[in-house]
Amino acid sequence: MNNINLPMIVIVLLSALATMIPRFLPYFSSAIKKIPKVITNKLKLLPIAALGALIFPFSILDFNPVWIASTIGVLVAFLLGYLKFNMIISILFSVIATYFILMII
Amino acid sequence: MKSTLVNTMMPMDKILTKRDGFLDGFPIFLGYFSTAIAFGLVCRNVNISFFNSTLISLTNFAGSGQFLMVNLLANGALLFELFVSVLLINLRYLFMGAALNQKLGDDIGVFKKIIVAFSTTDEIFSVAVLKPQKLNFAYLFSLELTSYTGWVTGTMLGYLIGVALPHKLQLALSITLYAMFASLWGHETRKSGYKILIVGFISAALNSLLILKLNMAIGWSFVISMLSATLIGSLFIGSEDE
Repeated sequence: MNNINLPMIVIVLLSALATMIPRFLPYFSSAIKKIPKVITNKLKLLPIAALGALIFPFSILDFNPVWIASTIGVLVAFLLGYLKFNMIISILFSVIATYFILMII
Repeated sequence: MKSTLVNTMMPMDKILTKRDGFLDGFPIFLGYFSTAIAFGLVCRNVNISFFNSTLISLTNFAGSGQFLMVNLLANGALLFELFVSVLLINLRYLFMGAALNQKLGDDIGVFKKIIVAFSTTDEIFSVAVLKPQKLNFAYLFSLELTSYTGWVTGTMLGYLIGVALPHKLQLALSITLYAMFASLWGHETRKSGYKILIVGFISAALNSLLILKLNMAIGWSFVISMLSATLIGSLFIGSEDE
């Protein structure tokens, strides 16, 4: 795996650790409740900011050169989410739309 | 998510059961199962073994974190980059956990809390936190186990059947992850207004710029984009909520 010269299991467990630290802290540490409200309020935007960077540019790059298919797929999911369809329906229709575009181009 | 709706509207004093947990967990099972199939496919494509792919899902139990991790690995990220990126993308769980912790019933001691903390995913959190009543362990455990099963078996199946699927269908299935994020984004935009849309756009634009134009490593680019967009967003979005 390129420049990571460690057994895969170490990498997997480190990633698990990076996931579990923020998951466990609030249940077992009272320090979390003492974070100033100014900071916690700012951090509320973090998941949203994450979403943008999670989608772009890789939804485009993964599909290149047929990026039009993934763009439509992302749009469909966004719109259905906006219209309050549940996530499973949104994902399902997004896959169908993406597949459809891939078939016709 | 009909079952969620029905349960949410039940009287406050109705004690949640194992069965409620299963019913609420089933839609999550379906969503996780299909997303995990995509994850299994991705793992196979970047030459991670079947054992390790399954192990990732067993120990991480995190959608976006896992995809990010595999993506970084495949692109030769450094271990430190990988750790920080996965940590940062998971920071939101601090707030979810804090909220869920306050709703736990008295029957949940330290050992049971470990299981609850382990499975505080976005979807399990969203379903559980919306319950009007206190959350007991029987309910939470069956909600979590149902979801966890979908995630792990989906990963295995995705890895195993991956090659059997036509190429175009494989490619179409890989939209699942982005679709999940996009639908969350749409949902949040509806809930909190167009400014949320802008915060997402800022991080998307920044991340694309850093990666495509400046060839920055994905881990760092992701962290910088996410934090900058959060900071910029907090300048024009007041803390009026709460």
